[in-house]
Amino acid sequence: MAALFTPRWLIAACLVIISSGFKRPDKKPSSGEKMIDPFSLNDIYGNRFSLEDYKTEKGCIVIFTCSHCPFANLYHDRLNKINKKYSKAGFPLLAINPVSPLDFPEERVDELQKKAKANRYNFRYLIDSTQAIARNFGAVKTPHAFVLIRETRGWIIKYNGAIDDNGAHPEKVENAFVEKAVDELLSGKPLSVTETKSIGCKITITAK
Amino acid sequence: MKQKISLLVIALHFISFANAQSYNQLWIPDTLSGSNFYITAKDTFKQIVSGNQTITGGFNTNFWGPTLFFNKWDVVTVNVKNKLQDTTTVHWHGMHLPAIMDGGPHQKIAPNTTWSPYWHVKNNAATYWYHPHLDMMAQQQLTEGLGGFIIVRDSVERALNLPRTYGIDDIPLAITDRDIDHSTKQFVEVPYGDSIMVNGTLRPQYNVPAQVVRFRILDAAIETSYNLGFSDNRSFTVITTDGGLLNAPVAITGATPRFLISAGERVEILVNFTGQSGTSTFLKAYNSTLAQSVPGGDFFPGGPFASYLGKQNYNILKLNIGAQTANPVTTVPATLANNTYYNASQAVLSRTVTISDSSGVTTPPILGPTAFLINHKLFDIGYINYTVPLDNIEIWEIKSTSGFSHPFHIHDVEFNILSRNGAAPPAYEQGWKDVVLVKANETVRFIAKFDDYADALKPYMFHCHIALHEDEGMMGQFVVGQAPNGIMDIQTNKNMLIYPNPVSGIIRFEMANNVSISKTEIISTYGQTLIERKNEGQNTIDVSQLNPGMYFLKLTDINGISYIKSYYKN
Repeated sequence: MAALFTPRWLIAACLVIISSGFKRPDKKPSSGEKMIDPFSLNDIYGNRFSLEDYKTEKGCIVIFTCSHCPFANLYHDRLNKINKKYSKAGFPLLAINPVSPLDFPEERVDELQKKAKANRYNFRYLIDSTQAIARNFGAVKTPHAFVLIRETRGWIIKYNGAIDDNGAHPEKVENAFVEKAVDELLSGKPLSVTETKSIGCKITITAK
Repeated sequence: MKQKISLLVIALHFISFANAQSYNQLWIPDTLSGSNFYITAKDTFKQIVSGNQTITGGFNTNFWGPTLFFNKWDVVTVNVKNKLQDTTTVHWHGMHLPAIMDGGPHQKIAPNTTWSPYWHVKNNAATYWYHPHLDMMAQQQLTEGLGGFIIVRDSVERALNLPRTYGIDDIPLAITDRDIDHSTKQFVEVPYGDSIMVNGTLRPQYNVPAQVVRFRILDAAIETSYNLGFSDNRSFTVITTDGGLLNAPVAITGATPRFLISAGERVEILVNFTGQSGTSTFLKAYNSTLAQSVPGGDFFPGGPFASYLGKQNYNILKLNIGAQTANPVTTVPATLANNTYYNASQAVLSRTVTISDSSGVTTPPILGPTAFLINHKLFDIGYINYTVPLDNIEIWEIKSTSGFSHPFHIHDVEFNILSRNGAAPPAYEQGWKDVVLVKANETVRFIAKFDDYADALKPYMFHCHIALHEDEGMMGQFVVGQAPNGIMDIQTNKNMLIYPNPVSGIIRFEMANNVSISKTEIISTYGQTLIERKNEGQNTIDVSQLNPGMYFLKLTDINGISYIKSYYKN
């Protein structure tokens, strides 16, 4: 077998392909906890919301999502369910749209309002028009979920990644990552999964 | 970790083949025909393996795209809407058309916009395809699944008794492979896959009638070549290569009939299933016999570039032979077309294009890891390698000093291979081609006529069709027609100073290095010379009579070297 690896071209080809591995680094944020500065954004109805408005909540579930992405659109019902279940337990769901309506007309605020109405969103839907919050979180896809807990030092990201492991077939979900993370946080256990790969449409960062 | 798991997945994959279970019905792309076509590139998802869906890209569908039927001599318009989140381009691979309609890296389609190229179909009946061609993004967008077939029909092909009932006895097969991450179920953007897909279908099977069946095979892989054959080693007949029918069918026979197809290439074959109803066979890749230097014949055991299928034989498609259709084709025509090929004596020019590895290149030094090069350079979108005079018949000699094989593709033309290392190509390579696998250290010569379409500013591409190599810079470009010399040569033009700019009356110009100017011209953006003046020591030209707009000032020195710069007239 060793003879296979001796030709110079093979080494060259290896280098080329290794290089491509480095050339497109995965923009996934590094694993581990990250503190998030409190932020405030307008929701789709123009109401200002600040993370500091949460006075009694233990944490929150932040979902970066949007309207044009077919994969994000699979999750309307699940977001409602998650919010219903966990806002009572002190972990409300907060949706944030980081996609520019200049790139996709589906992201215009009137379209978002229509969508929220049609799908009876029971959660707050914020607009991150400068993409500053998406960049701060390291959100790369829609949908991209973060589970935060409030500690005395501030808001800490405890889980980062996919909502669950099956977009189109909620009945076939084997790992509901977000729900499991919140359950574990609520029961004071260490998280069994802190990071997965978010799957969906790329968030193109265009704002500076 | 991932390698081990993937190897296990592969093992399971082969076991599932052995059990002859869990085949999926081969998806046949929908068709569009007429003269006005609408295709929309979009981000979407597809259930490819069990569990989560895979994020994919497709035209009008969730992987690949509709087959476009064109008639030769029709004028077709294809309206391409980009609903991806990225810019893209769509190249009509194999089509002879104006460079501005070609869909190469210069014809970008921004998200949420529509590009509507139109052209006169002058290609022969054959199988072509369309795919993204954005600079440095081809691999990513191809991996997502964006692409589609084009089938051109003409009177020559129509007059022959050939199978042509789409999806019944005339079956398109886009063969590719993908590496699927077992935990996320997502495609990994690597050149070699661990899972074969045909038309986006994993482990496909298809029912074919017991008669002569035509397969239109495209190697749509990122990198892999497939050494095609059938599991029962039956013979088959090649009738069409990239750009048209061969003059006569070429039977692929012998103890182990094989046909090597490489990225971007197409071949149409006829297979005779007459009298075999109730049996089945496999179309397979026999890549264990390929050289290490052929893509797919190499073997990397792990890492982000592992080739799990490298140097192996594997099934591509299970074919179940069923009942004959009404009016079956049961024989192969003796002759096909009467092509007029160019011969070497007609060529007015011979160009040598070198392809090489970057290792050891010092002038100029190529920084970073090894890449593959054309003419010892990485692709530069502002650099035109060649200007080909319109109607030139030229020989291109593709000279490889690379240790690896590269499928070389040229836009605009279909060519004829004159020789491989000085020897005539095999009979099945003597027809019209637009991709040729140039093997390690091989020299391939081909001949082509660059007719019909000239554009001094919009280039056509030539490149390695391995998407990774193309993205990394193994690409060059040429314009057809006389470009104003030096228009792309920014380096040279740094020596040229124009002021004022914008100008309303008189332009003054200066050349560094005391170059003596012999001719001064003002050229419109359409390339028309509006003012031409022999220089007699002046460094000014009066443009006050021109309408407001953009113009080019072209200076030619006493040695015949030209310099050009744009300016704005108020």
